[in-house]
Amino acid sequence: MGSTTVKAVVVDPETKDIVWSDYQRHHTKQAECVLDFMVRIGQILAELSCDDVRAFITGSGAKPLEAPLGAKFVQEVNSVTLAVETLHPDAGSVVELGGQDAKIIVFKENKQTGDKSAIASMNDKCASGTGATIDKCMIKVGMPSEETLELHFDDAHLHHVAAKCGVFAETDIVNLVKTGIPSDEIMCSLADAIVMQNLSVLTRGNTLRHKVLLLGGPNTFLPFLQECWRKRIPETWDERGYDYPKDVPIEELIPVPENAALYAAYGAVMYGMHEPAAVGVYKGLDGLRRYITEGRKERLGESAGPPLARDEKELEQFLGAYHIPMFIEPEAATEKVRAVIGLDGGSTSSKAVLLSEEGEVLMKAYTLSKGNPIQDSKELLAELRGRIRAKGAELEVLGFGATGYAADVLEECVRADVNIVETVAHMMSATHYFGDVDVICDIGGQDIKVLFMENGDIKTFKLSNQCSAGNGMLLQAMADQFGLPVTEYAETAFQADLAPKFSYGCAVFLDTDRVNFQKEGFSKEELLAGLAQVLPKNVWQYVVGVPRMAALGRKFVLQGGTQYNLAAVKAQVDYIKERVPNAEVYVHPHSGEAGAIGAAMETLRVVTRRGSSRFIGLDAAIDLQYETKNDETTTCHFCANNCSRTFIDAFRPDGSTSRYISGFSCEKGMVESKGAMEAIVKERRKIMKEFPNLVTYEGLKAFKRVAGVQPMPDAGTQIEDVKVERKFFGSIERTNYMRTFQRSSEQAAEQRANWRVGIPRVLNMYSTAPFFRTYFEVLGVRPKNIVFSDPSSEEMFAEGGKYGSVDPCYPSKVAQAHFHQLFFHKHEKSPFDAIFFPILTHVPSFVTDAVDYASCPIVAGTPDVMKAAFTKEQDYFENRGIEYLAPAFSFTEPTLLKRDMFDAFRDILGMTEDESDFAVGQALEALDRFDEDIQAKGKAILEQVEHDDKIAILVLSRPYHNDPGLHHGIPDEFQVLGYPILSIRSIPKDPEWLQRFYGEGEDVLSVNDVWPENYSANSAQKVWAAKFASRHPNVAILDLSSFKCGHDAPTYGIIDSIVAKSGVPSSSLHDIDANKPGGSIKIRVKTYAHSLKIREEHLDDVASRKAELQRRIDEKRLELLRMKQEQLAAHRRADLGLERQIHELTEKVGRYRIEASKAAEDATLSSAVSESLIRLGKKTKDGKVVRV
Amino acid sequence: MADGFEIDIDEELAAFEAEERARLGLEDDREQWTDAMIDPFFSAKERPTTTILNGGLTMAHDEFVASALKGIGYNTRPMDCADVEALRFGKEFGNKAQCNPTYFTVGNLVKELSRLRDEEGLSAQEIIDSYVFLTAGACGPCRFGMYVTEYRKALRDAGFDGFRVVLFQQQSGFKQATGEEIGLVLNPQFFMALARGLFAGDVLNVLSYRMRPYEVEEGATDRAIGEVKREVHEALQENRSVLRALWRGRKYLEAVELDRLRAKPKVAIIGEFWAMTTEGDGNYHLQRFVESEGGENDIQTLVNWLLYTLWEMRHDTERRMTLRGTDESYYGLEGSDVGYKMAGVWLGELALRATFATFSAVAGLKRNKLPDMDEIAKVGHSFYNNELRGGEGHMEVAKLVLNVAKQKANMTLSVKPFGCMPSSGVSDGIQTVITELHPDAIYCPVETSGDGAVNFYSRVQMYMFKARERARLEHQAALDTYGITEDQAREFLKRSRYAKTFYKAPHIVAGTSADIIHEIGPLVGKGRLGRTKVHATRAVTRTKGFVTADLRHAKKTFDKMAPYLPSLGRLIYVELKEKLPAPKAAWQTLMRRAVPKSEESAETQIPTTHEYTPTPTPQAAPNPETLRLQVVS
Repeated sequence: MGSTTVKAVVVDPETKDIVWSDYQRHHTKQAECVLDFMVRIGQILAELSCDDVRAFITGSGAKPLEAPLGAKFVQEVNSVTLAVETLHPDAGSVVELGGQDAKIIVFKENKQTGDKSAIASMNDKCASGTGATIDKCMIKVGMPSEETLELHFDDAHLHHVAAKCGVFAETDIVNLVKTGIPSDEIMCSLADAIVMQNLSVLTRGNTLRHKVLLLGGPNTFLPFLQECWRKRIPETWDERGYDYPKDVPIEELIPVPENAALYAAYGAVMYGMHEPAAVGVYKGLDGLRRYITEGRKERLGESAGPPLARDEKELEQFLGAYHIPMFIEPEAATEKVRAVIGLDGGSTSSKAVLLSEEGEVLMKAYTLSKGNPIQDSKELLAELRGRIRAKGAELEVLGFGATGYAADVLEECVRADVNIVETVAHMMSATHYFGDVDVICDIGGQDIKVLFMENGDIKTFKLSNQCSAGNGMLLQAMADQFGLPVTEYAETAFQADLAPKFSYGCAVFLDTDRVNFQKEGFSKEELLAGLAQVLPKNVWQYVVGVPRMAALGRKFVLQGGTQYNLAAVKAQVDYIKERVPNAEVYVHPHSGEAGAIGAAMETLRVVTRRGSSRFIGLDAAIDLQYETKNDETTTCHFCANNCSRTFIDAFRPDGSTSRYISGFSCEKGMVESKGAMEAIVKERRKIMKEFPNLVTYEGLKAFKRVAGVQPMPDAGTQIEDVKVERKFFGSIERTNYMRTFQRSSEQAAEQRANWRVGIPRVLNMYSTAPFFRTYFEVLGVRPKNIVFSDPSSEEMFAEGGKYGSVDPCYPSKVAQAHFHQLFFHKHEKSPFDAIFFPILTHVPSFVTDAVDYASCPIVAGTPDVMKAAFTKEQDYFENRGIEYLAPAFSFTEPTLLKRDMFDAFRDILGMTEDESDFAVGQALEALDRFDEDIQAKGKAILEQVEHDDKIAILVLSRPYHNDPGLHHGIPDEFQVLGYPILSIRSIPKDPEWLQRFYGEGEDVLSVNDVWPENYSANSAQKVWAAKFASRHPNVAILDLSSFKCGHDAPTYGIIDSIVAKSGVPSSSLHDIDANKPGGSIKIRVKTYAHSLKIREEHLDDVASRKAELQRRIDEKRLELLRMKQEQLAAHRRADLGLERQIHELTEKVGRYRIEASKAAEDATLSSAVSESLIRLGKKTKDGKVVRV
Repeated sequence: MADGFEIDIDEELAAFEAEERARLGLEDDREQWTDAMIDPFFSAKERPTTTILNGGLTMAHDEFVASALKGIGYNTRPMDCADVEALRFGKEFGNKAQCNPTYFTVGNLVKELSRLRDEEGLSAQEIIDSYVFLTAGACGPCRFGMYVTEYRKALRDAGFDGFRVVLFQQQSGFKQATGEEIGLVLNPQFFMALARGLFAGDVLNVLSYRMRPYEVEEGATDRAIGEVKREVHEALQENRSVLRALWRGRKYLEAVELDRLRAKPKVAIIGEFWAMTTEGDGNYHLQRFVESEGGENDIQTLVNWLLYTLWEMRHDTERRMTLRGTDESYYGLEGSDVGYKMAGVWLGELALRATFATFSAVAGLKRNKLPDMDEIAKVGHSFYNNELRGGEGHMEVAKLVLNVAKQKANMTLSVKPFGCMPSSGVSDGIQTVITELHPDAIYCPVETSGDGAVNFYSRVQMYMFKARERARLEHQAALDTYGITEDQAREFLKRSRYAKTFYKAPHIVAGTSADIIHEIGPLVGKGRLGRTKVHATRAVTRTKGFVTADLRHAKKTFDKMAPYLPSLGRLIYVELKEKLPAPKAAWQTLMRRAVPKSEESAETQIPTTHEYTPTPTPQAAPNPETLRLQVVS
């Protein structure tokens, strides 16, 4: 009994033959389907009594039917394993894709006994790589099912589909559909992504043994999926040197057995053969019938909660207060309607509004996205024009503004006046209607935006990334499950008397819950109510992660298309009011069009100020001709990524044309010719040079040679040593004495020079590589023989990310790809003697008085995990003659470090202990010099921005986020906007320098006042950096954490508190992972840039007010001095000093006036000239800033 | 006026500047956040009106600890076992991306306080004033090891800002916070009470997991254990002897009839500490589930964990004591007296083993060998570096190896919360090599997320099937070895001492039934003479084993400990000097003679009295000087 189908077999226990079998979709009526089967089975076994029949059941839905049937439940993987062992004794492995799970079984042979044991792994927590994902995506692609049965796998044109999560995959598929990619290419890309996902994750690093049986619905029925397995599995075999018969046809090596769908059922019977005769004796149909009619209902109470409304009265009250009145278009008063148009091109739908010059909504239009933003916009505009004309009037468009994902292309094609980011558009719209609001919660079809407001502007905001938990799609999908129009959702949900308690979180998990609840017998109404109730939890707890809602304020505005669903609104309002007792919760009167209204309002402001519009005009926009092209000719070849781009060429009626390019992953893809690309890259580099990025600098510099290393002392040089003795009572006595420095032989030195080591450029290497490189170099290892793997990249991970048996955070997981690169690329070019990846239990840190300076347990343990991954099936090190070195070191104990370094390398490098100790000393100094260099640059930036009243962005991250493959270029996005980027290491740690930002008596390098449990060195550094940013007026925060980061988790609340109290601008991404969330990053960057601009304006204001204060004080002093002079004069006394002061101050005050008039002139000039760029500067002792 | 004139320019200007600053909005209004809940104070005066809440271990432990503290004069109350509702509280008020144990334990406290507020009608302030929560201090380095941060955050966000979480440190000694002003005095009396509760909990837990799978009448074990617990509770609450209570409890246990000939797989539960110890929703009642699936649980005790922390201290000190200098760090030996520290560790280990052995002997727990931590470290190191800490460290990997190599269990079940850093992130990756080296191992790693119990059970079932098969084969193989049938064995067992509740057959293979068959097999069908011969042979083998293995092992341990015997003497001297003033003078004379002159200066540094130590604030690194007996929650 699976999640979608019921399969049954009747087996003769003597012959083990299948007497009868069937396979049916149960349409969530599992028990009924089983009853039907049992009735039919009863007919063919009519001559037997119940006692002669034994039943064994398996599958995700089987357990509740165990008692009613008298059957014995058998775990699915056991069933499948037994079926395969019985029917295919020669099988080496099994891949079964089910509806909501995927299983891989590998049969391993015990070489001594010859026994086979099955190693099974099962993905039952996540929808990635399961039939459910394929089902959902097939609907999105819109390919008829008969066509999918004919489709063949072709890897010529594969596109990126993230199979890591079912929801991510769906998003990618939708985007591919929208960019016009042919559906067969999309389906093949999906198959490839799913196969690769299962091969890289579900195999847990095991190699599938032949022959590989493909089981389960999708594998049985989809030929292109079978072909994809048959292509990819042998590739992994070749890659790993697995020996398989090359002469056997691939269909025999990787077969899809007949009746593959029945294997689990058959296996359950085989299991039954092992059970005593009394087990699983069939009880007949009565129990099952009773279960269907009564039993299920009885169980409901356990997992159910209250309904959406307790009683009719409550519901009426709610509907009275929150029913959104129908929008009635105002009649056209004149023949000419003058208005601006705002358009919100969303991912699932596009909306447009017509806004009068007075800001009144005149008309709204809506269309479901058809994949092309230009086409959608043209249709919307045509609709608006048509409807105005139908009223007998003519539309005069004063301006056109766009927001949403279509805004960029519209800005280019129809010369939109405004292209604003969605968050700002929503904010403008909400404040227009509700004034000073505290929180705006916008729930759209695909994403959730929650804006936290302060003083009429966005203070911070939270966005759902690509995760669809809590969005409108979820409700839509649920309504679809019951064939219910979404407009009837609320009405239906309000009818429920109770509601199942869904556990909040991932949308796919919710769907699993839905299936389970349905199995338990909850009705459609109850399920709809339960899901509406879980929505606010998903929004506030899962996406937003705000525990104390009352701290956010009391005025909440709900908007976005989902608010038309009153069941969702009711749940939201109840949730908010329960937590914020005096809350005022409003629903935007134009919920779905809030973004478009915001864009229109901004357009109104812009065109009024500018006095004209650059929009090509309504008719021209409607008649716009365009061509979309996505083929080999549009692929970007400017780098190895080979992005598949889409060109949209627009031909305006006036004969002008424009080309909009989408689908690229870096700036190089923005243009077509090499010359243009070079020009863009040059321009970008120029900006990057002007605004330094110390994250990038530090990430590169860490792996370069560090200058200033002292040469090794000669043999015989006098050095001080320590003699260690243990005394009778256990104490240790250490005595200093002098002796000569010992050098190793020349032969050993020669061997060291030629010793070649590969080091993965990952994790703690980002903070300690200068140490290890210097150590090796001081000992005489040639610099070119110290080889680091390349920085991480998506391609690197795609190629080498298949060895892992565990699924930790991406920074740790990516290490395997670095090993792969070292083995298969670097070693191939010039062989290594060793690969070195130390276990660093403790890492260097500047935070004082911390409890400990521990490294993250996963990060520290990764070298041992890598050893396991690369030695378990075959020893990749031994096969290549490479020694793997993963000794443990602690950077908080220099004395211990010295000895451990010597112990680790004495046999390999043949040096003396003196030489090793000297090298460690030099290496530690090199690490200090590395710090000094970065800090000098950081100091220069900080002093410059302070002087210029500008902002620098401090990236709060762990050192290894300096890896561009980990931070996905997010800091660079801000850099090109003109913000210098600081890393934590780059902040000067000189207490004297820091002191002026801290209160008296504060320990400037400690975090104990906010986090005493600071065991984690890197997390404590992040907390410290947040403290620093909250004290430096010119620093803003960009907080990056990897998905699943356990060491950052305890600090989220602390950093939030620090940021909230001090009001330092901050943007955080706490779930960065393997894939780059391009769209989400763009919205974040744009919105955060908006906040930063406001912060800069504030800094400017403060600077001018400070200048005014100085002037006013000087004027006042002059006034007081003059009064004093008069008083003295009255007593016939004079004071020469006083006279001099008055003279000087009079001159100074005079200068203020001249400066003020000059400043007014300059202001007019400067508006024409671009703002001065921040350049690196240094503060001199007298306070001036000079260029460096 | 200094110069006799009316205007004081500086004063006027200062006032003017202040006014102008206010007018221009230039006052420095940036506030900085500091955590006001860091140093909670619970005073002695508040003791009578304050209830100490405790929780987080197995129910037996939590309840015994509460009773033990009651016995020494505190108002205590154990909290309920953390359930799904607690998880919901934890998730709502905790940080995102926390692990399950954090959500469950932190959520459980918030849940309890919310209940006091919403159901008992106490105001938040009343709760803050009249309740404190007692737990072990954070120990790093995984996120669960830093859970104290999370308690503060969740309490603050749930509206209990200022609620006191009182800590005792795992790595510190027996005397952490003493003084007349302090509400919870962390003195030896406190730790002894704690230890009595913990040892009794451990022993009864092991006994109940041993008995329950084989009980003839369902529920008999739970009823009997309940009676013993009642006896223990009464003793603890009245500060009477727990050993006596355990002794009295034996009669209830002895009355439970067991059938140990049921072939049941022994399932060793390892993994993350909290996930494997809790007995509620936190691991989906894993232990009961294993039993319902026909298995016998081999659980981890708290004593094992204590032994591990002692091993850590010993290992870390030994590794550093011969260095050319001392480092100032968490593990560094700067400022610590190595001899004294090592003596404390050895004494701690001896005391722990001896106490546990005593509790076991009295309660009827036989042949329950505590693990040899050196062996575990040695076995684990080549796969999982001994220097790696967090969670169970190398123990998880080593335990699997030993379970397979020494046939200690039919199946090893490693339970951990979803995304557990040391367990899912590291150990599971390394275990794949172990299963590759030992293809016969039945190893089931399983994660708990709080939801999705169905999948969790399904996964465990998948492996239990294999384990049952294995146990059945093992059972049959044992019968075949001696050529007897199960009925013969059963008949033999009737009325024999081997059928008694407390009897435990020597370890030969993993399963209990197979072990007992191996024990009685040679005796079945034999006459008195034959049986005597078998017993005599066994006595010889046992003696041989004692001489070749146990004595050797004891000697090895003694050799390791021997260099610290003088330090041990010094430690005992210091302690006794305080406890027993009468022989103090005699000791002093003796010691003066024993200690060479050069040592005297060192001796003066040794703390000789129980000086007042202020409440340890979590930011202060544990003082190595106070390292004596380890106590852990």
